[in-house]
Amino acid sequence: MSSVSEPLVRGGSGRTAPKRHKSVRKNSRRLYSSYQNNQGSSDDEDKEDERVESDDPEEMFQNIQHQKEIIANIRTRPWPMRRKLKVLKQAREIVLKYEGRLTRTRGYQTAGADLLKKLSRLLYNIVVLFIPWEVRIKKIESHFGSGVASYFIFLRWLFGINIVLTIMTGAFIVLPEGYLQYSVLFYGYYGSVRKIGSAGYRLPLAYFLVGMAVFAYSFIILLRKMAKNSRLSLASASDENFTFCWRVFCAWDYLIGNPEAAESKGAAIVNNIREAICEEQEKKKDTSLAVLISLRILANILVLLSLAGSIYIIYFVVDRSQKLEQEKPELTLWEKNEVSVVVSLITMIAPSAFELVSQLEMYHPRTSLRFQLARVLVLYLGNLYSLIIALLDKVNIMSSAISVSSSNWTEPSSFLATISQPEVMSTAVPRNISTLATDATMLDPVTTIRGSVAVSLSNQTSVFEKNKQDQCWETYVGQEMLKLSIIDMIFTVASILLIDFIRGLVVRYLSDCCCWDLESKFPEYGEFKIAENVLHLIYNQGMIWMGAFFSPCLPAFNVMKLIGLMYLRSWAVLTCNVPHQQVFRASRSNNFYLAMLLFMLFLCMLPTIFAIVRYRPSQHCGPFSGQEKIYDIISETVEKDFPLWFGKVMSYVTSPIVVLPALLLLFMLIYYLQSIARSLKFTNNQLRLQLQTERTDDKKKVFQLAAARLQAPEPPAEVSTEQQDSDNTSHEASIQTPSPRRNGSVTNFQSPVSRGNSIRTIAQSASRSELSRAGTSRSPSVAMLPKHRLEHRPWLSHSGHTGHSGHSGHTGANSSCRSKSHHPVVFSPRYSDHMTSAPVHRKTIHALHPVERIITAPSFSGRRGHTARYVIVNEHEPRKHLLRSATRLPRHYVMEEPAEILELYPRNFKRYTARAIHHQPHLHRAHLSQQNLSEEEEEEDQGPSTRRKMPLGKTLRPKSLSDLHQPAHFYIGDRGESHCSRAKVPYEAPEEEEEAWEELQRKAPQAKVRGAEQSVRSRRGVSSSGRCSHHVEVKAKSRQKLEAPLTESDSASVASSSDQQNSSVDQYIQVIHNKERFVKAAARHGKLPKKKSKTTFDPNVTEVNDLVCSNV
Amino acid sequence: MFGLFVSRRLFFRYRDLAPQLVPLDYTNNPDVRLPYQLIGSMPELKDNPFRQRIAEVFSEDGEGNMSLNDFLDMFSVLSEMAPRDIKAYYAFKIYDFNNDDFICKSDLEKTLNKLTRNELSEDEVRMVCEKVLDEADLDNDGRLSLDDFQHMILRAPEFLRYNHSLYENHTVELCIGCLCFAF
Repeated sequence: MSSVSEPLVRGGSGRTAPKRHKSVRKNSRRLYSSYQNNQGSSDDEDKEDERVESDDPEEMFQNIQHQKEIIANIRTRPWPMRRKLKVLKQAREIVLKYEGRLTRTRGYQTAGADLLKKLSRLLYNIVVLFIPWEVRIKKIESHFGSGVASYFIFLRWLFGINIVLTIMTGAFIVLPEGYLQYSVLFYGYYGSVRKIGSAGYRLPLAYFLVGMAVFAYSFIILLRKMAKNSRLSLASASDENFTFCWRVFCAWDYLIGNPEAAESKGAAIVNNIREAICEEQEKKKDTSLAVLISLRILANILVLLSLAGSIYIIYFVVDRSQKLEQEKPELTLWEKNEVSVVVSLITMIAPSAFELVSQLEMYHPRTSLRFQLARVLVLYLGNLYSLIIALLDKVNIMSSAISVSSSNWTEPSSFLATISQPEVMSTAVPRNISTLATDATMLDPVTTIRGSVAVSLSNQTSVFEKNKQDQCWETYVGQEMLKLSIIDMIFTVASILLIDFIRGLVVRYLSDCCCWDLESKFPEYGEFKIAENVLHLIYNQGMIWMGAFFSPCLPAFNVMKLIGLMYLRSWAVLTCNVPHQQVFRASRSNNFYLAMLLFMLFLCMLPTIFAIVRYRPSQHCGPFSGQEKIYDIISETVEKDFPLWFGKVMSYVTSPIVVLPALLLLFMLIYYLQSIARSLKFTNNQLRLQLQTERTDDKKKVFQLAAARLQAPEPPAEVSTEQQDSDNTSHEASIQTPSPRRNGSVTNFQSPVSRGNSIRTIAQSASRSELSRAGTSRSPSVAMLPKHRLEHRPWLSHSGHTGHSGHSGHTGANSSCRSKSHHPVVFSPRYSDHMTSAPVHRKTIHALHPVERIITAPSFSGRRGHTARYVIVNEHEPRKHLLRSATRLPRHYVMEEPAEILELYPRNFKRYTARAIHHQPHLHRAHLSQQNLSEEEEEEDQGPSTRRKMPLGKTLRPKSLSDLHQPAHFYIGDRGESHCSRAKVPYEAPEEEEEAWEELQRKAPQAKVRGAEQSVRSRRGVSSSGRCSHHVEVKAKSRQKLEAPLTESDSASVASSSDQQNSSVDQYIQVIHNKERFVKAAARHGKLPKKKSKTTFDPNVTEVNDLVCSNV
Repeated sequence: MFGLFVSRRLFFRYRDLAPQLVPLDYTNNPDVRLPYQLIGSMPELKDNPFRQRIAEVFSEDGEGNMSLNDFLDMFSVLSEMAPRDIKAYYAFKIYDFNNDDFICKSDLEKTLNKLTRNELSEDEVRMVCEKVLDEADLDNDGRLSLDDFQHMILRAPEFLRYNHSLYENHTVELCIGCLCFAF
């Protein structure tokens, strides 16, 4: 755990560090590390504390600060409670102890701050207690998950908004005007007296301003909430696609605490994942059936038809009610309310119809949900709009009717609305008169008539009662809205009771006496359809906004409604609903709800604004009576109640000279901000990309470092290989059968194939190398074989070969990995190559072509091409000496990765001789050399690598290859072929090969001698020493000599590794027998390598027969 | 020493699970552990497919037997107040079934099988695992490290409400996370 938490802790200290002094930073490091390292041992921590102690006040203060930081941040540390407590206690003690030593005031200050903190926490707790319905929502959340809860949270939020709206209208309009009466609800009630009471409250102005403020507030609060949401959810901005991850890791709703909900959630998750899989598969094929398309077209036509139908019905109903009103003196209850009833009915029924239709379409659930939402929204909007347009249309007719027929029935004075209050009447009369006075100045044609009517006013009041609505269109609109809202509420309650409750009752209690399972088949339990319910809330809120201007008490009413809805809904959900099957996630849709709400707000504001701007206010009712336009109140106020200069300024400000440039400026600003946002988004993307590449680069670097380290051994390696080449060839030639297939076998280390195994393999081989180092004179590889077999197949086969080759050869790459690298290093020997190569070898052997060695190169086949991958290692060097001695030169590769750095070292531990008698001397030497090696390894862990090979080969040999800018090479020795004893280990190669092998072996003795001679001749002037003893001597001596310089080069290469990273990643060398193989290999790595390798290694190619080294 | 007056309600919650085991007096810090069977049967956990993992991760013995400290720990991490980093860290631990600090394929398979109650076929599970690794494994090592995981999970919109207070009457417990450390 500590290893994981380390970065976190470090990060924490690093973040806070810059503020402080360096020494403190050191302290903190020490402290943090002490905390994290000695999880349990308090002794160490105490020691640390002692060390921290110091008399320097500055340092002391900083220490205290630091301890306080620990205290403050302790919550963010992923430690178990016990440790947290311990650390906390200690830090506190330190703080207390030292704080006393510092100034006393400081102590008081901190004490005060502590107290304040506690108080604020307490306060917060109390506040939390008072959040309305919190407990209820939590309960719902625990039963139904966050989706359903989000509905209630949304409801609560709307409730909050409505509260504010209510307060606004209540405080500034309703209360100043008078007592709360029914009529207070509507526009018409309010008088147009400019000033009320002694304080001179300007009601009309307040009315107008509050009306606007309602919208402004709603806009601001909505936008703020949306901005906050989008800031919270980084995901909305990012294009990163973690579909599957999120579906797996974030699928479970941890709030669910109810088996039913858990079950349906589980089902939903399965669906969801299946959906994702389907989508993934569908991405490729895009088949759409004609039937499906036609079905969808049909469905859309149906939906459009129903939309058009609903709009027509509403319009028709409004029209009818208008006619009825004009024709009949007394309206029945139905006739009065039919408009709202019809609208509510439509809003209730249509969504279900849409749902049926959407089943026809056979979209997958999410798409159909979206379609459904969009359609319902359009429907709601259509309803509201057709209603309001019909109403306004009526208003139009009304006002024209007024102008035409006002002669016989007019004077729709404002006080008529409040006709029941005689005391208001008295005030209303003068008001009317003043209105008339202003009217007269406007030369309204109606004025004269009005004047006459005003005279006869007192006895006509009762007659006008009926006409008041017609006359005061604002009141009329407000009334309609209120009616709509009320009836909507009634319908909601009814639907909850009927559709949810009764259905639930029926399903629960009648399921026993029914022939099918009611609970799972037809009626089922009602589902809580989050999306539609939320839409309904939005619709409801839209209604409020639309009517708020004309009916100031609508928000108050809505508050009541929402409270009722809250309780009713939560009760219904808990008692008779089951969670919705379709997953409509809360947080993801939060902004979606809000966006819809915003849309609604905008669209609902439009009619109001339109009415305000376009229509003339009722002449005889309401606060704006007698004005030409409602907004005139502003200009009037400015004119009359402000100083003159203000009016002038205002007139300038509102003139086109200012407004147009201001608009222009606004547009420019918007454009500017937009472009900034775009560029930020762009940089954001860039940063993300960079982050990603950096992360992959990090990994790359690790490999590159490893590769670079290998470059150090490279030159010697080259040389040695060359030497080995010659060596081999000579021997091979002499034996005539240098076990071609062994030579030919290519081990490909290919990462993606079996990543998991790689580590094990390496580690395993490490242990082996360990063992071999221990100095078992008999071939350790054989000893280790069983283990290999158990653990890793590829290695097994290698060792199989080894075994076959017998004791003469200690084979197999001994590579050790000293770190739990999670590197995708994979060693997967490619057997196919190996097999196919056999015939070729035979041929070459016949031709007495000496070189059969193979060094297979690292093949880099990164997954997604990100990471560098590996290193092939296979080397055969049948080191045969004359007199049929075969010394093996195993190369051991150490893969080391302290701190994620992988280093590969070829290591050369031992040579084993196949035939004990002949090789006694060699064996001895081998031991010696081994000794040396182990000593050296102790000194520097990083292995003396192939450089050790050098001595083994001919030292005289020119370093031709190394001069050719040859990149790093890895040789993990898999050398097999000793021509010696047969393996006891099962050999996995095909039979025929084995036979060939045997044959070759039989011929070996003579052939070897011959071949050796030939090879000596054929080699480019390099004398390969034929004599075994001599050869070994050289090796032994030169090894020691060479060690020092090589080490240097090694470290040098490490130092320069960073520079070489790029090149080194891609470097690989492939030494292959024949072109065919080469082509294969090269094809794997693109064409470039091919070319290059040819050029670079020309000499090699020509010289050493089929040896091709490719270098990328 | 702190249990009695700070996180009273949680303590009683803990105690109610096994009144005969848990003493009322915690002044001497008695070494009491409730077995996993009791912890896992809490209403907050009993329907959670990962309940065992959660208990294991938070228990000190790694087997789901919880002391009071562990219990408080669990609630503090799972409370709404806990920082997202911490939540991500513990979420990682929860999903890391074999405790090797990586979410590897087998972990993913386990997660999926638990989550879906073995309803997905093997092919589907394999495909999902591949996709998950494909998406989130930035360093291409074939498994998710903590970094990978955090990178992914902190961007998840659900994670905002992820793990979000286990306790339904959270009004007081909600602040346990900060309370018990501050006193």
